[in-house]
Amino acid sequence: GGGGGGAVKTRKPDNTAFKQQRLPAWQPILTAGTVLPAFFIIGLIFIPIGIGIFVTSNNIREYEIDYTGTEPSSPCNKCLNVSWDSTPPCTCTINFTLEHSFESNVFMYYGLSNFYQNHRRYVKSRDDSQLNGDNTSLLNPSKECEPYRTNEDKPIAPCGAIANSMFNDTLELYRIDNDTRTPITLIKKGIAWWTDKNVKFRNPTGDGNNLTALFQGTTKPVNWPKPVYMLDAEPDNNGFINEDFIVWMRTAALPTFRKLYRLIERKNNLQPTLQAGNYSLDIAYNYPVHSFDGRKRMILSTISWMGGKNPFLGIAYITVGSICFFLGVVLLIIHHKYGNRNTSADIPN
Amino acid sequence: CAGEENWVDSRTIYVGHREPPPGAEAYIPQRFPDNRIVSSKYTFWNFVPKNLFEQFRRIANFYFLIIFLVQLIIDTPTSPVTSGLPLLFVITVTAIKQGYEDWLRHKADNAINQYPVHFIQHGKLVRKQSRKLRVGDIVMVKEDETFPCDLIFLSSSRGDGTCFVTTTSLDGESSHKTYYAVQDTKAFHNEQEIDALHATIECEQPQPDLYKFVGRINVYHDRNEPIARPLGSENLLLRGATLKNTERIFGVAIYTGMETKMALNYQAKSQKRSAVEKSMNVFLIVYLCILISKALINTVLKYVWQSEPFRDEPWYNQKTEPERKRNLFLRAFTDFLAFMVLFNYIIPVSMYVTVEMQKFLGSYFLTWDEEMFDEDTGLGPLVNTSDLNEELGQIEYVFTDKTGTLTENNMEFIECCIEGHVYVPHVICNGQILHDCTGIDMIDSSPGGSGKEREELFFRALCLCHTVQVKDDDSVDGVRKSQLSRRSCIYISSSPDEVALVEGIQRLGYTYLRLKDNFMEILNRENNIEKFELLEVLSFDSVRRRMSVIVKSSTGDIFLFCKGADSSIFPRVKEGKIEQVRSRVERNAVEGLRTLCVAYKKLTAEEYSNVQKLLQNAKLALQDRDKKLAEVYEKIERDLILLGATAVEDRLQEKAADTIEALQKAGIKVWVLTGDKMETAAATCYACKLFRRNTQILELTTKKIEEQSLHDVLFDLSKTVLRHNGSLTRDTFSGLCYLYKTDDRQQLSLHFKPHWSNQEHLYIQLNKSYFSVICTTFNLSSIVLASMIKHVCILVIELYILFIHFILKPLCYIMGIIGKEGRQAARNSDYAIPKFKHLKKMLLVHGHFYYVRISELVQYFFYK
Repeated sequence: GGGGGGAVKTRKPDNTAFKQQRLPAWQPILTAGTVLPAFFIIGLIFIPIGIGIFVTSNNIREYEIDYTGTEPSSPCNKCLNVSWDSTPPCTCTINFTLEHSFESNVFMYYGLSNFYQNHRRYVKSRDDSQLNGDNTSLLNPSKECEPYRTNEDKPIAPCGAIANSMFNDTLELYRIDNDTRTPITLIKKGIAWWTDKNVKFRNPTGDGNNLTALFQGTTKPVNWPKPVYMLDAEPDNNGFINEDFIVWMRTAALPTFRKLYRLIERKNNLQPTLQAGNYSLDIAYNYPVHSFDGRKRMILSTISWMGGKNPFLGIAYITVGSICFFLGVVLLIIHHKYGNRNTSADIPN
Repeated sequence: CAGEENWVDSRTIYVGHREPPPGAEAYIPQRFPDNRIVSSKYTFWNFVPKNLFEQFRRIANFYFLIIFLVQLIIDTPTSPVTSGLPLLFVITVTAIKQGYEDWLRHKADNAINQYPVHFIQHGKLVRKQSRKLRVGDIVMVKEDETFPCDLIFLSSSRGDGTCFVTTTSLDGESSHKTYYAVQDTKAFHNEQEIDALHATIECEQPQPDLYKFVGRINVYHDRNEPIARPLGSENLLLRGATLKNTERIFGVAIYTGMETKMALNYQAKSQKRSAVEKSMNVFLIVYLCILISKALINTVLKYVWQSEPFRDEPWYNQKTEPERKRNLFLRAFTDFLAFMVLFNYIIPVSMYVTVEMQKFLGSYFLTWDEEMFDEDTGLGPLVNTSDLNEELGQIEYVFTDKTGTLTENNMEFIECCIEGHVYVPHVICNGQILHDCTGIDMIDSSPGGSGKEREELFFRALCLCHTVQVKDDDSVDGVRKSQLSRRSCIYISSSPDEVALVEGIQRLGYTYLRLKDNFMEILNRENNIEKFELLEVLSFDSVRRRMSVIVKSSTGDIFLFCKGADSSIFPRVKEGKIEQVRSRVERNAVEGLRTLCVAYKKLTAEEYSNVQKLLQNAKLALQDRDKKLAEVYEKIERDLILLGATAVEDRLQEKAADTIEALQKAGIKVWVLTGDKMETAAATCYACKLFRRNTQILELTTKKIEEQSLHDVLFDLSKTVLRHNGSLTRDTFSGLCYLYKTDDRQQLSLHFKPHWSNQEHLYIQLNKSYFSVICTTFNLSSIVLASMIKHVCILVIELYILFIHFILKPLCYIMGIIGKEGRQAARNSDYAIPKFKHLKKMLLVHGHFYYVRISELVQYFFYK
């Protein structure tokens, strides 16, 4: 309490718009004259936008293969109950046909279903300072990584449940042309965010660039076949800055998700990136999903200015626009028929 | 006095800490608190714990504390900082605010407690800090100083042993009141004499009623039996009152520090909660229930979902050992708490702070309003309690004082009626008001011989029967000055009516000069000074509604002059032209004038000595003195001869009618509380449009109650109301007039209460209709309130502590008018406005804005 108390104003208060509460204010009163045009305008704007988005989305080529192998007829059925450490890996090949050619750059994704990357225990289970190349964290990872913190008294690098469960199927794509398998070049760099690759993830520092030495004293995550410093042959894609690893470490919000696996670049302007025709997908099936009813998919997709394929947005725009237009028409009819009945009635106070 | 010793709660005070002479009485040293006033809540040491405790008693703060602690203890999805930091901020801001306020209170306390006070030690004047004052000390107070504690008035620099005091800060009365020194000590004028005083005072233990005091002083002269004198409230100078017009006085401290009547009346501002805050709390509880059920459902769903092991613990996301081992119920409980924490944002932490800030800053719009600024006084509205802003828009009842609030309290003498002849001090000739000319409106034939005599008697009566003081600038030349220019003297009185009367009579030729050595001097039309010895004053009180003086003229005749409300005079009159006077009085009352009747009685010397004896006995009584005095007064003031009546106008405040009309249109019920005659009150109500031509006035008067039982009266009234229920629209208000004249207010309330509760349905019925009410007894209206209005917003304007303190304070919002000079009421009220007319904008514009804004704010918070 006590607002303004005590201070007895001996002078006249200022005659300003603010102090006298005369600031301009817009307090619209909804009448047919304002509501009807608003409905029509919203309808007329939203319907074209929706159509545009819908057409754009439909022009995006997308092809999806489920290679989990739950159906007995599937070539990957034999690999269904694969375990982490099966050597050599179980491989399977799935043939498929593209009806339409993919004109622009193609993005190759892997998709998982029923995989809860958003579980609280899972999301927390990482040590960001370790991933950022901090040497102390490397040898003494955060408690959050439990129970994937140490193995046989050695700190795990990278520690935690996320890193431990990294997707490790290998996917290869071949074009089949008159029974000849032509491998399609899959680019594995440029699939991670620039900031992740250059800022958030760093290899530990020390003498020299020998990652094996730098990761001395740590051990590989339990489920990994090889340590982190052997993820790739190229030094700028090895260790913590391996892009496949970085992509995995960015956890998905929903249990059904896709992650970028490889890029297929258009060679020249004369040929589409992927012609219509037969292809085969070679899978080194390492990643077990059957135990939790999960599914695995491979997705090929092009993109447009509005991202990947997303028919919902266009449909939503068209629906809202149509409803507004329809309501506008209905209200117009009502207003036209009954509108001038009680124009003289006062607005009750 | 031996028979009166059965009153237990008394204290004995040894004046100047002198023991009574041996053998007279046992000297029992008593311990009394020192004169320290403590209004602060905290000390340096207990501030942190006490303040924290008080803050966490608030339900929202406590809730967030619990959430914070839960976050600290369990493994939560959000960091404890997210709820701890805002809580810390809120607590700190509030603590700083309260600490600052308390620091100001400490400073004010210190200023009061260290204020230098003069008191007498060993015959010398000593200056000491006020807080060191003890009961029994003899204190000297100079003009314009406030009394440091409750004092018994021993002597003053004025020869007659009186002093003048304003009690503005106590009851808001700005007029000067006269207090009387103890008869036996009023001769002591200097420190040595006072110090030689040997006396004890017995008085009751402190009680908060400002106008009640009973005590007795025993003055010991050498070896003689002590002389006992009665002490009453006229001898008691209250702390907080200011000495006026008197050079200095001596008094002995009897109540000190927190035992003074002022401190006993001081109440820490009770927390008033607005309806919005109450509904906010209801919202919060509803949301808390939602939160708990949400957390509960989520916990159950969680365990249902993870009942399959591959969901609970898939290979990629395994539990740690301790997690696996933990007890299922403990796990479920922590999960429940975690969900609570996760969803706790459903209850907005910032709401209380934001709402408080909004109210605080919003209150400035009120003070900034140009239209609420009064050019005459240079004052704007005051907001003392910003917590209640929005309630201004929710006011359903306005209780307003009549005199001084609705009306200007600027009395003007309009006319007098002597035995049916009307005298007007200024007549209107050709549309111009001619002052100072004695116009005589001939209603009757010209006064005969006896009429002439009566007329003079009437004027003398008005000149003598009052308690007006003359402010003398120069006591030596006073007489001559006023002789030369009649209007130079300034009259001071506790009642503005009296001043108006004396001034009016002056214009009719009789001037009251002064009271000197118990002789009242008046100047008659022939410029001769007449002297009357003042024998007794039977002072005014609101129950008797009359006052009397007994004077002895220079010829030796003893007169009793009595002046009072017509209802209290007419029954006591045995002769005089009652009918003419009554009709005139009633006509004046209808016109909204305040009327008084004047009567007299001639006393023989024998009668007078009887009267004197009766009065002396009553005054000496320690117990039920008021009652005994009233009985004596009753005996004395009877068989009077009616002289005439006077009419004084109290003009309406600027735009009072307009304001009342607007308030009524808004559906606000206006109650006027007044002590005036029913007709006068009704006339004012007509004048300010509270009543209209077509208003049906239902009356509940003493007369009716006497004729039939209260129940029947009420039943009849409610029948009338029911009959008219259909036709009661906003335009045809019915006025219900409770008018009460009983001798004993206490008795009235006792007698009323049982009926009241039994008949509750009647009052609810009355309450629903559109009523404006005039109450003439404060007690009655407070009973009405207590029984029927518990859940509505009431605004009380300018009613004094006696009324407000008892029942109303926690129920209503208090509005003061600051336009009046020296009115302390503004400071004690929740809101204060310069003039009555500003009430309209305050309630109908600002109140509405505040309510809409706060409602939107709170709803937005819950929407968010």
